[in-house]
Amino acid sequence: MNKNIFKDDEWKRSEHMAVRENAGYYLFTHQLEEVSGPDAGKFLDWICPNNIANLKVGRDRYTTILNEEGEIIDDVVVMRMDEEKYWVSTLYATKLDDWIYYHSDDYDIDFSEITEDWHMFSVQGPKSKDIMNGLIEGGVEDLRFFANRNAVMNGMDVIINRGGFTGEKFGYEVYCTPDDADAVQDLIDAAVKEAGGKEVTEFQVFAWTLPTEAGFYYMRDLNRTNPFEVGLEKNINWDKEFIGKEALLKVKENGPAREMVGFEVCDENENFYIRSKQYGGPGEPVYIDGEEEEVGRVSKLVYSYVKNVNNGYILAKKDKLHIGDHITIHGTKCVITEKNWLG
Amino acid sequence: MTKKIDERIPQDSGNGAAFKTYNAVQSPWNKLMSYQDALHYASRFEAVLSAAVAQAYRIIIPDYATRADEMCKEAYGRLLYTGLNYPNDDGFGIHPFMCGSYPGALIGDKGDDALLMCGRCQDFGTYRCEKELDVCDWDICGSELCRATTMSLQGQADATETRHRKGHKLDYLMVEAKGCGDRHCRIIAESREKYPAPEHALWESFGPAVSDEYKKYTEEEDCVSESMMFREECDYHFVNGTNNETDSSNQMVNLSTAASLYLLPAIDNAAKLGYTTPENAEWIKKCVLEAAGKAMFGERYAIRACREWLGVPNTIGEDGRLLGGVIEMLLQSLVCNYEIEAFNKDEVIYVIDRGGLAITGTQSLVEAHLYMWQGMVKTLVNAQWSVWEEDSPKGKMRIKIAKKIDKFM
Repeated sequence: MNKNIFKDDEWKRSEHMAVRENAGYYLFTHQLEEVSGPDAGKFLDWICPNNIANLKVGRDRYTTILNEEGEIIDDVVVMRMDEEKYWVSTLYATKLDDWIYYHSDDYDIDFSEITEDWHMFSVQGPKSKDIMNGLIEGGVEDLRFFANRNAVMNGMDVIINRGGFTGEKFGYEVYCTPDDADAVQDLIDAAVKEAGGKEVTEFQVFAWTLPTEAGFYYMRDLNRTNPFEVGLEKNINWDKEFIGKEALLKVKENGPAREMVGFEVCDENENFYIRSKQYGGPGEPVYIDGEEEEVGRVSKLVYSYVKNVNNGYILAKKDKLHIGDHITIHGTKCVITEKNWLG
Repeated sequence: MTKKIDERIPQDSGNGAAFKTYNAVQSPWNKLMSYQDALHYASRFEAVLSAAVAQAYRIIIPDYATRADEMCKEAYGRLLYTGLNYPNDDGFGIHPFMCGSYPGALIGDKGDDALLMCGRCQDFGTYRCEKELDVCDWDICGSELCRATTMSLQGQADATETRHRKGHKLDYLMVEAKGCGDRHCRIIAESREKYPAPEHALWESFGPAVSDEYKKYTEEEDCVSESMMFREECDYHFVNGTNNETDSSNQMVNLSTAASLYLLPAIDNAAKLGYTTPENAEWIKKCVLEAAGKAMFGERYAIRACREWLGVPNTIGEDGRLLGGVIEMLLQSLVCNYEIEAFNKDEVIYVIDRGGLAITGTQSLVEAHLYMWQGMVKTLVNAQWSVWEEDSPKGKMRIKIAKKIDKFM
């Protein structure tokens, strides 16, 4: 009972480490919202706190989307596909579609969900560039980080995007039509395996362990937080108007009430039981040893296969937990750390 | 006899209760009960009714394995069909890249919370999922139901799998069940590619799980008694691991029953398969449910508690309004529309929306309630009183609670 579901799982370890040491690929189709028209950039600038309209065609940008209270309701990657056409990659299309609808009255835009039209394969890891150079006609040497362009793979039209959710320097996303998906997957599968990599099949690896190691968030981590609390305030453009700005300015002025910190389990008993929000629910309460005040909740608890330690995030009251602090969570000894295990 | 309505709450009491967070239900004597509390009472009443229906099913198919097998096949097939024809991936937070049958766990997780079966997801991955429940009002309905609910989840999961690219199939097992005396209900879903095990018949869905050593067992002191949407620490929202959220405003309309979801369809199916005739099945249900209703108030302390619960004034004696109060509280809790045609010491008449009472669309649940109420009135009031249907308009069930002499009752 309570055996560590990550540490000794060689299946998960091998898929995780394939990405870190070699290459791994996986189906990572997100929901896509296409926003187009003369006001598309202006509109996205209104619903996103980060700059969007100044994106060059063929470039991407990560941004949060806030509600009027300044709370994060989505975090997305916006890709500029053409002068007046953007793709918003989300896992929340149903809500985002409504959000766009209710805020689009004053803008000359069209929008629709195009998820059904595309599949996306993510190829990540140090050898991914070489693999993609072999698969994409003309190679991908020209492709900068967070850049996309049309490409051809074995005669099939695809869109190639450099980026990912793993923290790897080299990672690529191949968008193809559902009709081409089998053929595209076969080509990627063969090339990745020839390079010594493998398919990543475990959700917990591509959605949790790889991103967490790099300090990335899965949307559940951000639920009911604001950008200052989770360290996503750096690229906000305060010189423009955007939804949530007024509330967020107050947070900026007064300082955030909470902060997301990293932690590791350092208990010798590896069969511990700590609940975390990644499975849903409120997460395990966190107390400073010897004190009764709850100072936070465990947002995430996974495993860093690079550092060989159970790692995760705590959403804590501001300045209550500091790097190096030792705490006990549900009877298990832990230590507060940076929120990045790849540095 | 008169159609007079005693001075009391307005007739529109309870209207729209489902769409206001934390609305109260209100007894005919202005006793207010919180939305959450009323839901718990309604859920348990429906579980008691379901337990009685389960006994009827046991009479119809006496052999355990045969009965469980038929129930599992029916539940699996129906929920597979539902999942295939009425997909709702967005509604459960199932992402496009979630291939295989593991996203079915998200459906079960959300469904549990809506049924007040609170607990927690303990694992969610491509090859293994685990859900642990602390509360299950259905734990009195018999272990066949535990098996069938597991197979209904398997049906939903298998349907989900068809909407995505090829993935890994999980075998859903209920390795612990409160209905079998365990502290928790625990579903563990495993990939047989990663956790090999011999194949099993559909009804043999109790495991054991191969990955039992990974099980996370919540001790008593950490167990919960409310769904996430009723807990402050959850901001009064159900939130799953993919950030799918639901608040309590939809909770009442989401409440369903074991009888409507599993047991009554299983009996209908048993009649179709020739285990009994439809007429005999109806007769058995009537007998069992009336007896169950009588047992509810067979002891005087139960009547006293019920009067206290409803806030019945001392001036009200033994008459049909007592049962009327119980029925109204239930109907409001189920967001079932009803009209009061009469409410006085001689008679109580309600015109009840059949669709609202046929929770999850199970039409025979309407009659099941009527049988139960007929039993209840015999002990809650006295044997002079009966409940029967009379002059129902289309789509409604008009019931009358009054004294009645019937030499063949």
